[in-house]
Amino acid sequence: MSRTAESSEQAQDLMSDGARSSRSATGKGRLTSVALAVALLASLATACADADAAAGGGKALQASGSTTVAPVVADAAEALKAQGLNITVATQGGSAGGISQLGAGQIDVALSSKPIGDKDRADNPKADFVSTQIGSDAVGVIISKQVADAGVKNLTAEQVRGLFEGKITNWNQVGGPNLEVFVYDKEPGRGTREVLDKYLYHGEKPPPPPNSDHFAIVGGNLETRNKLESTPGAVGPLSTGFIDGRDKLVAVSLDGIAPTMENVASSKYPMTRPLFLVTNGQPKDTSRKLIDYLVSEKGQELLPKHGYLTLKQIGK
Amino acid sequence: MAVKTLERPPAAPEPEASPRPYRSRWIWAWVFTGALFMAGVLLVLIGYLGVGVAGGEIDWHELLTEASWNPVDSVFGGLAMIYGSAVVCLVALALAVPVGWAAAIALSEYLPPRLARPLRMSVELLAAVPSIVYGLIGILVVRPVIASLADVPGGDSLLAAGIVLAVMITPTIVAVSVDALSAVPDRYREAAFSLGLTRREVVRSAVLPLARSGMRAGVLLGLARALGEAIAVFLVVGRADGRLPSSLGGVLDSLVHPGQTLTTKLAGPEPVLAGTSGPYFASICGLGLVLLGLVAAATVWGSRGKTRSESVRRRGGHRQAARMRGELDRVVGSMRLAALLLPGVLLLGMLGILATRGSVAFNPAFWFSSAVGAAGGGVSGQIVGTLLLVVTTGLISLPLGFGAGILLGVHASKRAARVLQTVTVVVGGTPTILLGLAGFVILCTAMGWGRSWLAGAIVLVPVVVPVVALTTAGRVRSMPTETTESALSLGLTRAQYIRSVVVPYTWPATITGLLLGLARAAGETAPLIFTATVFFGAPALPGGIVASPVQSLPTHIFTLSQDSGDPQAVAQAWGSAMVLVLITAVLLCVAVALRNRFEGERWTT
Repeated sequence: MSRTAESSEQAQDLMSDGARSSRSATGKGRLTSVALAVALLASLATACADADAAAGGGKALQASGSTTVAPVVADAAEALKAQGLNITVATQGGSAGGISQLGAGQIDVALSSKPIGDKDRADNPKADFVSTQIGSDAVGVIISKQVADAGVKNLTAEQVRGLFEGKITNWNQVGGPNLEVFVYDKEPGRGTREVLDKYLYHGEKPPPPPNSDHFAIVGGNLETRNKLESTPGAVGPLSTGFIDGRDKLVAVSLDGIAPTMENVASSKYPMTRPLFLVTNGQPKDTSRKLIDYLVSEKGQELLPKHGYLTLKQIGK
Repeated sequence: MAVKTLERPPAAPEPEASPRPYRSRWIWAWVFTGALFMAGVLLVLIGYLGVGVAGGEIDWHELLTEASWNPVDSVFGGLAMIYGSAVVCLVALALAVPVGWAAAIALSEYLPPRLARPLRMSVELLAAVPSIVYGLIGILVVRPVIASLADVPGGDSLLAAGIVLAVMITPTIVAVSVDALSAVPDRYREAAFSLGLTRREVVRSAVLPLARSGMRAGVLLGLARALGEAIAVFLVVGRADGRLPSSLGGVLDSLVHPGQTLTTKLAGPEPVLAGTSGPYFASICGLGLVLLGLVAAATVWGSRGKTRSESVRRRGGHRQAARMRGELDRVVGSMRLAALLLPGVLLLGMLGILATRGSVAFNPAFWFSSAVGAAGGGVSGQIVGTLLLVVTTGLISLPLGFGAGILLGVHASKRAARVLQTVTVVVGGTPTILLGLAGFVILCTAMGWGRSWLAGAIVLVPVVVPVVALTTAGRVRSMPTETTESALSLGLTRAQYIRSVVVPYTWPATITGLLLGLARAAGETAPLIFTATVFFGAPALPGGIVASPVQSLPTHIFTLSQDSGDPQAVAQAWGSAMVLVLITAVLLCVAVALRNRFEGERWTT
């Protein structure tokens, strides 16, 4: 904000000019008052900047990113509050949002439900991303119980591709009931979506969204779950942890492999993904404490609570 | 008898020798600060979008004519979003305008004043209901209804968004139209009645021609609000990119399918993902400029003063048969009263839903305990945060809006006043999502503040200042000329006149405007999501001014509404909505009471 400072200096100059002229001639009164006004606004802005500098001391640690990781970190933050640590968790823009904000220096810790990719590093050349895995999670292809009970228990990668590309429009094409498919895809930048893309396209560029009327976009996991539950014939990618205890939703097995604990732990289930906390450079101070807590025994207990796998369960 | 000689009084002092006390130079600094702030906001907004557009190659032709939006392939076409915005607004207007106008006519022409006054107040209350509450109703009521009626799985569609917006802008249209109708002097009605015309004919031939431009303004202000609304639409539109009907027949079909509008695109994650330069960010800013342009056009067009009184053209041709006049009058009258029922039912229905579903809000514990986990406990932290934001915003906005309003009313030449008025109106109509994004980029990114109390308050200031300025200016213009003339004849300078005459005369209207503006600001969601609140960990009382996020009711409701499958979260959301509505209602009632007391000019948000 060097510009503010500059303008305020100019305003100061103007003001002293103005002060001089106001003593001599009233004709310049107008100019004076305009100058004064500029000075006032500029000083307001700089005062804020000063306040900012003063308030820099007791700043809370800012973590932001994936809605998959957020509940775990929020619980950890709650537990660490007792130790006098202030941690805020935001979820604007999902994993990619967190990573780009970390690269821009707006936050201290990014929450990511996908590994840092080469593109992320290329986009943020100045940043030195250090990822720490805190657990693991399976992304399920989630369908409604009604469809599952009618015969859709397993889907091949080919079929899932067909569903999400809008080629399969009725569940009876994959052995289900006569019911139209409604696809909920995640918005861009969401870790969940990248995991699905990797499974379906193996790093190739995914095709653009289908030109179908039965296609909508969802954001965070809560919204995804809510819309899947309230739409008959819906299908969407969602962390299996989020459908625990929801009897309306089912995660199908993929290529014959169900997202069970063992299959996820052994990475046999194709859509397994690590959950990361990412820092710029080695974590230190509060971010160090947060990460240490999450990989400690106590912190690891938080993961099963949300339906995720601990580091121990995946043999790390 | 001593003869008294008349003594000449001492010569009057030279004006330069002993200047009047308190020259009040600060007055000018103050009023110009207000005016400059207004121009500044607009410049900052356009500057932010302009810098973004300049920071990357942008293909305007593609942005305006290409339907598909696919950042992965660097295809940035905004046509489908422009289409979505247009369709949603058209649906909203098609539903809201006939009902709104008929209800306004019924309110002002058919009902006895005793009944009309409380109804008019309820309409104003409805107009101030925060949009997040409409969004909640959209998710929990409109979506299921559309899903079952129109056979849309899930119910996310352009139609649902249009209906939510229609409900949202009807009160605005009614309130502004009623103002326009009640401004028509009674003598016109009396003259028309004395010619033996029925009530319907009186309204048609004597009242409407004079009120027409004001009623049109109500529609355009409603349109501006609909165009700029982000969150309520975001929750029910489906946000599917690139949906454009290929034929005319496809338009109706596209209504009942998911779509995307300009505002929902900007409220999504992409502004955060697009970085701060390059073609992607430039295209996002281009969308912002398109949106700002559309809304500015609607607001300016809607709040133009009467350019010239429309001469009532005699339309020749069809003359009505004299036979059916009585029947026709009765039919039309009952239709209008029925139209008034609709907003009435809406109001009662909304209050009913809020009061029954949000009954948890009537438990004091809910107000005074803090939230627990995702959907438990109370909302004390959120209330404190909302009040903090509102008070801070109010403190910053009051001097700025007051100053700008006085300059607008007193000092500016005709042309300057028109320019300033236009700027003020445009700032007032700016889509708040753009304010939020600009705040996010400038305050939270460039200045490194982080999401914070002050950032949120500053972003809300442009929402409030125009309302304060416009109410103040209206009051200044209604000052009796005698007051002004006698003050100036006493030799007061302009500055002293403002200090000793204008300010004491206008402050009640200013406070009214401030409360109205704050009632609007209290319910803003989109800007706060970007600049002030976080998913977790915001303290009830922020520890720093620019370093610490706050909690707030609207964003709390937004978060809860994402999980509307969970009954607990839904109950919590309704309760929070009820609290928020009560807070805005209190602000509004105080404002209306003040206004009735001092008879300031009416202004509805």
